[in-house]
Amino acid sequence: MRLSRRGYESISAEIQDYLDRETRRNIDSGMSPEDAAFAARKKLGPTARVLEETREASLGILWRWLELLWRDLHHGVRMFAANPAFTFTAVLSLACGAGANVAMFSVADALLLRPLPVPHPREIMTVGSEYHNDNSSVLRTSYPNYADIRDHARAFESLFAYSFLTAGFAAQRGSAPMVKLGAVVSGNFFEAMEVQPQLGRRFRPEEDQVRGRDAVIVLSYSLWEELGGDRNIIGRSIDIAGIPFTVIGVAPENFTGPDHLVQPSFYVPAMMWPRLFADPATLDDRFTPRMTVKGRLKPGVSFSQAQAELDTIASGLERAHPDTNRNQRLLLRTEFQTTALGNRVYTALASILTLLAAAVLVVACANVAGLLTSRAPLRAREIALRLAIGAGRARLIRQLLTESSLIAFAGGLAGLPLAYACILIFRRVRLVSDFMIQPHFELDQRALLFSLAVAMGSVILFGLIPAIQTTRTNLTSAFKAGAGVEIGKRRLWGRNLLVAIQVAVSLVLLTVAAFAANAFRGELTRGMGFRSDHIALMTVDPRILHYTDAQSLRFFDTLTERAAALPGVKSAALTSGMLGTGLSYASVQPEGFHFPLGQDSANIYYDRADENYFSTIGIPVLRGRAFLKTDSLDAPSVAIVNETFAAHYWPNQDPLGKRIRVNNLRWAEVVGVAKNSHYGFIGEPPRAFFYLPYRQGPQGNLTLLAASAGGSASLIEPLRSLIADIAPSLPVYDAQTMEQFYASKVTGFGSVMVEVISAMGLMGLTLSMIGLYALMSYSVTRRTREIGIRMAVGADRANVMQMVVRQGMLPVLFGIALGRCLSAGAGQWLRAVFPLRYEIGPAIYWLMVPLLLSVAMLAAFLPARRASLVDPITALREE
Amino acid sequence: MSTGPRQNLAAKDRIDLLQGTLDMLILRTLLFGPAHGHTIAHSIESGSDEVLQVEHGSLYPALHRLVRQGLLSAKDGLSENNRKAKFYSLTAKGRRHLMRESNKWDRLSAAIGRIMRPTES
Repeated sequence: MRLSRRGYESISAEIQDYLDRETRRNIDSGMSPEDAAFAARKKLGPTARVLEETREASLGILWRWLELLWRDLHHGVRMFAANPAFTFTAVLSLACGAGANVAMFSVADALLLRPLPVPHPREIMTVGSEYHNDNSSVLRTSYPNYADIRDHARAFESLFAYSFLTAGFAAQRGSAPMVKLGAVVSGNFFEAMEVQPQLGRRFRPEEDQVRGRDAVIVLSYSLWEELGGDRNIIGRSIDIAGIPFTVIGVAPENFTGPDHLVQPSFYVPAMMWPRLFADPATLDDRFTPRMTVKGRLKPGVSFSQAQAELDTIASGLERAHPDTNRNQRLLLRTEFQTTALGNRVYTALASILTLLAAAVLVVACANVAGLLTSRAPLRAREIALRLAIGAGRARLIRQLLTESSLIAFAGGLAGLPLAYACILIFRRVRLVSDFMIQPHFELDQRALLFSLAVAMGSVILFGLIPAIQTTRTNLTSAFKAGAGVEIGKRRLWGRNLLVAIQVAVSLVLLTVAAFAANAFRGELTRGMGFRSDHIALMTVDPRILHYTDAQSLRFFDTLTERAAALPGVKSAALTSGMLGTGLSYASVQPEGFHFPLGQDSANIYYDRADENYFSTIGIPVLRGRAFLKTDSLDAPSVAIVNETFAAHYWPNQDPLGKRIRVNNLRWAEVVGVAKNSHYGFIGEPPRAFFYLPYRQGPQGNLTLLAASAGGSASLIEPLRSLIADIAPSLPVYDAQTMEQFYASKVTGFGSVMVEVISAMGLMGLTLSMIGLYALMSYSVTRRTREIGIRMAVGADRANVMQMVVRQGMLPVLFGIALGRCLSAGAGQWLRAVFPLRYEIGPAIYWLMVPLLLSVAMLAAFLPARRASLVDPITALREE
Repeated sequence: MSTGPRQNLAAKDRIDLLQGTLDMLILRTLLFGPAHGHTIAHSIESGSDEVLQVEHGSLYPALHRLVRQGLLSAKDGLSENNRKAKFYSLTAKGRRHLMRESNKWDRLSAAIGRIMRPTES
């Protein structure tokens, strides 16, 4: 700044020197001193412009640009410091807008956008056949299919495959195992992902050639840390499912796995899979899609070329294996498509939150734009003066935009703590599991970059138009009237439009917020359709101890029998899935139902349960019977369907006695119809669901439910020791009470959503009311003189207030009408993307419109009151 | 309407020409020794028998640009009546530049002259 001033002073002195000499020269040629000075100035041209142009010439474009930027910033800071109320409102408005956007970005980022933590993540594609149900669509294939695709595909650098599994994990031989989530991976996994281990090495190609031979393991960074972070861990032996594995490497800290939300603790070669689970078929079963296959496209190969090649491979596989690969298309998806389609609920959630945040930003920007235009008449004099001494209009617009950027960046910066607070709320959403399945909400570099982009974008949104308008000043009138400049109808019309838009957008925000809050609250009171208290839960998986199916059955029989006999336990039951955490789906052919052409089955969620399940969890069996202990392997296969299943596949027919075929295997007879409940998340629409008796299928992990007479927390320890007594080294996981489970999985999620959405609705309302208030005070100030005249010719206070309020409410009414239409659209869209059962009903408008109106009345009333207190004499004397 | 763009183009050309020419005239004036802005302005005017009206305001940006380009050097000195003033003088680079420019100018004006007055040449 000092350097800059010295530069200016030197040029200024030079120009003064010129003027002195020219004046003297003119006097010498006979002019009067006044004329001489005037003629000298005329000869030179506009002093300010000469000064600026000379400075520009002496600095060069770049330095000059920086100098002007510095000067504008300096000027802006001074101006904002002199107008703290204005600055505070503007910065706070933008902080709300920017903060909401950054927070929602980090949510969308965690759920959808963040790329895989590997080099060149965009090249990685997912390959497989589509398996879908109503809220997710994934690409999977079986191991034999993977091997064939890998060997035939030319479009990829290399294709790797993985599958997640849970297994008992013991750091030392003989110590009690913990259950960990791991991944079985093809031998080229780390190489294809271009991940270099933090310690040790990756898998060697020959370590994934021979079944069951190479028991080698790569640990995740977090597991390694959990084990003590010993750098000498390489070569040590670790037990997985009772098999000693040699640690060959530790994955780098930033590598959280090949999937967005699932973070495996360890990686073992796929060839070890049959040994981990005493099931030799895992690598040979061509039907069951166990693997996710990904790979990098070769450079220069287009998406459609790769898809064409996959089509050829798929039809080859169909010819070679018609029984398993019929109608099995192979599809290609980018990582974004994979995550976006993999969980439609997350996708819908992320897009709704993002759009709401964008709406808040629009309201905030409209607000600041309004504030800036209302300052236009105050600045008109300064601007006019600068235009008069030769500053260019572009230069002035630039200065105003620099000031706007200052506000934007201050707002963006102030928004960061707000965003962080939001993220902290979101972090409360925990998926209840001992495993690392958890979205990471971060305020990271990407979010910061995004906030910068938001700030920049908002400058354009709120700064440009006021800047253009402010500099379009009429010089003469500006000088004549000072603060009371005639602004013209157009600008006022523009400001009214701003208010209307603000009101409209905030009405949309409010209705959506009220809708969401209502819907979630309604669902919460309605509940999930099963008992939400007095149950203790814990999960075990006897496969971890290599139990045969018969051994598992014996184990579970003993377990339920002895658990039910424990003091305080009313009943004990088994289920395979608790609210989305363990649900799986199967392809189902309901007897007598005709699917559309090309489809012969539907993927439907199901649960394996025992004979006490329905009574223990409190889901009534409406017709027929619940499972019986006699529904065993040697008895006829049976199934229970829910109401929706029965109504959809056998409308107006008796479902009892109908049969369904599951996974192309046996036909099972429907023996009961269970009441609908929620299976995935609270508020989901009714969906078809069915139950199979756990005794009639292959065994796996089951959750023990123990209904208690008193508090269920006290049951957890006895149940743990019971399990330890029956199967000493069997790890127990996800042990908790139903209350805990319900609070974190069901209510936790719902209430966080309600809080966040309502917060955005309130933000929108507050911001638009500030905007309305600013407009009203501005228009009253502008019309002080007119009001004075009206009062002088006989209008009383009531008339004046009426007039001002009427004028203020006009754009509000228009905005409400507009917002009503927009909300109807938003409701349609909301129902289309988010499978809630609710609609934005008229009740919400009956609530929201009067609320908005009364707040708007208040915002209009205060300035109107001020107007009515105008003293006609002073107002008229102000000229 | 159709003349609009053409007029703009002409105005742009004029400025370019003037700027380049003004630079050359400044350098030429300083060939006789250092001078300050006021002197330079008037000697260009009087040297051309007042045909060339230099807008004095545009002289200073030109002077400072030439300094930045290294064709002129500026030095604070005392003028005849003991006032502080900025004196401009030609650098070696400026001298070479002037030679090149005036050669170019000679060729240009001769060529234009031949076209405009073919019979006289």
